[in-house]
Amino acid sequence: MRRSAGARQPSQTRLNPWVLILPSLALALFVIGYPLYNIVFQSVHAVSRFGLIRGFCGLDNFRQVFADPVFLASLVRTVWWTLGVVGGAVLVGLPVALVLNQDFYGRGLARVLVMLPWSVSLTMTAIVWRWAFNDEYGMVNVTLQRLHLISGPVHWLASSTLAFPVEILVGILVSVPFTVTLFLGGLASVPGDIYEAARVEGASSWQQFRRLTLPLLRPFINMAIVLNVIYVFNSFPIIWVMTQGGPSNSTHILVTYLYERGFRLGKPGEAAAVSLIMLLLLFAATALYLKIQPREGGAA
Amino acid sequence: MQARLSQRLTQVAGALAAAGLFTFLAPAAQADTVRVTVAYYSDQTEPYFKEMAAAFEKANPGNTIKIEMVNWDTLQQKLQTDIAGGSNADLAIIGTRWLLDFVKDDMAEPLDGYMNPTFKGRFIGAFLAPGQIGGKTYGLPIAASARALYYNKATLTKAGFPAGPRTWDEVIAASKKIKAAGGYGFGLQGKEIETDVYWYYSLWTNGGDVVGANGKAAFASPAGIKAATLYKSMIDQGLTQPGVTNYSREDVQNLFKQGRVSMVISAPFLAKQLKKEAPTLQYGIAPVPMGTTHATYAVTDSMVMFKNSKAKATAWKFLDFLFTKAPRVAFTSREGFLPTTREEATAPAFADSDTKAFVSLLPTARFAPTITGWEDTAKAVSDAMQAVYLGKAKPADALRAAAAEADKALGK
Amino acid sequence: MRAFADRRKLRRSLYCWLALAPLVVIILFPFAVMFLTAVKPPEEVFIYPARWLPSHFRWANFSDMWVATRFGRALENSLLVSLSSMLLAIVVSVPAAYALARATFRGQGAYRQFLLVTQMLSPILLVIGLFRLAAMIHWNGGNLVDTRLSVVVAYAAFNIAFAVWMLSSYFATIPRDLEEAAWLEGCGRARAMLKVFLPLAAPALGVTAIFTFINGWNEFAVVYTLIRSDANKTLTVQITDLVAGRYTVEWHQVMAATLLATLPVSVLFAWLQRYLVKGLALGAVK
Repeated sequence: MRRSAGARQPSQTRLNPWVLILPSLALALFVIGYPLYNIVFQSVHAVSRFGLIRGFCGLDNFRQVFADPVFLASLVRTVWWTLGVVGGAVLVGLPVALVLNQDFYGRGLARVLVMLPWSVSLTMTAIVWRWAFNDEYGMVNVTLQRLHLISGPVHWLASSTLAFPVEILVGILVSVPFTVTLFLGGLASVPGDIYEAARVEGASSWQQFRRLTLPLLRPFINMAIVLNVIYVFNSFPIIWVMTQGGPSNSTHILVTYLYERGFRLGKPGEAAAVSLIMLLLLFAATALYLKIQPREGGAA
Repeated sequence: MQARLSQRLTQVAGALAAAGLFTFLAPAAQADTVRVTVAYYSDQTEPYFKEMAAAFEKANPGNTIKIEMVNWDTLQQKLQTDIAGGSNADLAIIGTRWLLDFVKDDMAEPLDGYMNPTFKGRFIGAFLAPGQIGGKTYGLPIAASARALYYNKATLTKAGFPAGPRTWDEVIAASKKIKAAGGYGFGLQGKEIETDVYWYYSLWTNGGDVVGANGKAAFASPAGIKAATLYKSMIDQGLTQPGVTNYSREDVQNLFKQGRVSMVISAPFLAKQLKKEAPTLQYGIAPVPMGTTHATYAVTDSMVMFKNSKAKATAWKFLDFLFTKAPRVAFTSREGFLPTTREEATAPAFADSDTKAFVSLLPTARFAPTITGWEDTAKAVSDAMQAVYLGKAKPADALRAAAAEADKALGK
Repeated sequence: MRAFADRRKLRRSLYCWLALAPLVVIILFPFAVMFLTAVKPPEEVFIYPARWLPSHFRWANFSDMWVATRFGRALENSLLVSLSSMLLAIVVSVPAAYALARATFRGQGAYRQFLLVTQMLSPILLVIGLFRLAAMIHWNGGNLVDTRLSVVVAYAAFNIAFAVWMLSSYFATIPRDLEEAAWLEGCGRARAMLKVFLPLAAPALGVTAIFTFINGWNEFAVVYTLIRSDANKTLTVQITDLVAGRYTVEWHQVMAATLLATLPVSVLFAWLQRYLVKGLALGAVK
């Protein structure tokens, strides 16, 4: 097979990459552009409960938001939430993907089973788990009591000490399928023959993993981390359905705080301001993360 | 070819002219479409409104009524999106507590101009009042309820209160006996919407008030502290279900239906549910337990007309129709609400003891005041009470902090 | 030899299943709850003391639910919206991913960053802007509100970020030689793409297809805001409608509906996961 430094192109003219990019860029801009403008607009105006603009107010909404202790507490909690769920999803997802990449009996079934949480909408998942964690008739307490692991019902969602970890665990559970699928895709790109050479040279499984698999998987791991961070940071249903950010604001993360401000307390302008703050935070975090990655050729 | 074409054209022109003549001569028929945003109360709500729409369309041919059902949880969100996008309905059911914002945004159409002299007289005054702001009527009370104490006849009789407890002391005494027998006495709501109201029952009946005459938060008073301490001590003594902050109103009601909790304060619709879901449960209805006075909470939901509606006349006709006797009786009885018009109150459907029990409480009922900042106050109070229930804050401190928050929102 | 290899595979299977067991149990737990609740007669859902098993299996719950949620029509809508947005997203993203993987050009970093930003905005507020946008566009005599087309376009746009990133990362691992070999044999660029390149990228296409389909299938906020009439609602909205803000919830129906709604996704995943195999395509080409 010839390896040429400069690829020999067919007789057609070189394709302009922008032509290839254009459809996706146009579609994304079209759909996101106006809503983004709308959010920015609302964040600098006083907006009534029902969305009517009552006048320009500069950075007042932002000031109000920053002055609210619940906002700052929610911000800190959001960081914990994101770290917990994404960390858990990747730490569980990678080994699971490696197992599911092996050739074994019933692999197809195992893969579908692992994917199952993804097949239910997030809201319904949260509703079912909330139900399962109910003090009196939730199946978690019933089962634990049947197995004699607890003597009386545990009040899982009554206070943030237990509720927040439970919510993080549910978050991890629903993020694992996406992460595993992503890793499976990445693992499929790893050519099988390189392992032959390594095995011949006496490399152990662990060394094969560290030296061969991991570096090749790096772009996909980055993708899993960055995308999960973005999705989890903005993930609304789990916490809202299970505890509404309570009791006493003790499980609020930024997105549930935003919803409460905008659609319960009737302050859409402040909600828009929070949304923009979240955007800036995410932007900074992901840009930083991607910057500190070693440069790979061509990929992420 | 030419001749045929011109012949064709003449035919078409003739037909058009004839049609034009017809429409010119025909009486100007109103052909309006009225869109109504309806909040979901039960599985009876949609069939009811569809029935009413059909009946109205039959009596007023050419007009269409389109019903759009929305869940209460997302009603505010839906309204906001619709209004912001300029595509709101002509009529909508809203929580009366939102009426003030509606009027401030100049979105509500004042209805006085459409009413004939006897229209206002149809209504039971107490229910019409919340829908009036600045002397003008904006919302018509489509749904009304009050709150009372439901008690489990079997366990309460065993505890020595066959007619139910009347005061908080009796509630405590009964709960102690029920606890000894292995059940939970008083069901206490600590989560989600109306957590604050559940505490107001204690606040009001102990002589306190949420907002004072001067418009400032008044619940951090001695009466308020007494009310909060009452609930907290009940939790500490095990007289309520454990894990209070995990129980929304529906959760407490479920416990009641199972017979696990013996007392719960709720609205008329619970009676309907009990008959359907727990037919063997013997329940009684008593007034909200009193401390120093009697009080209860009454709520209305209003139907409003949007100012930007393009079919106001027809929309009004539909409203008028909805508030006549037969439609009102049908709606109120099917949903388990309280009658808001005088005529329907006389209907046999409301002569049962349950409805009568609720209606008898109306003289002492308090409505949520239509003031800005009520929802923020509700949130501040809910947060404070949750902290108290969890033992994370002392009643006095929590209430004072909440009062400061509320004052900010109330504009004081 | 064959028997020996099978014994190894058998042992490997045992270890793999053992390793997966804890996760599988936790995953199946809510599904067990859903299933058993779905087949319980309504009176047994809240009995005390709570029991796992129903006294008898009430399969009628499923048919009751089908009618109450207008399941058939909602299923149609969900399928249409998910499949269409999946196709649109892929069609639009493949060329972009190819350009990112194969060419270096100014602005590619900004493009990538922009795509990431499209994911960062909270959907909760985004949908208000989307609604206004849809209301402003004239279509078919009215506007784009309450049309499935608007939902498809919105979903496709939101999925571009993942699709482009996934595809370009994978494309970059495909050696250029293979394409060049095809060009050498006189294959036009487009044909080389279709016949040689894309089949090699099957795993990435599979993952992208799954991702975009599931996103469309389970999404709630956009459909809830843009779709008004029952005839156009998707499964997610119909099911959530059964639960949100109601005074009484028919839990047995809700669970039945949720379970049924997971079937098409599981079927699709079962089919597509066959492509997520290492070295499948490369080996075939060689």
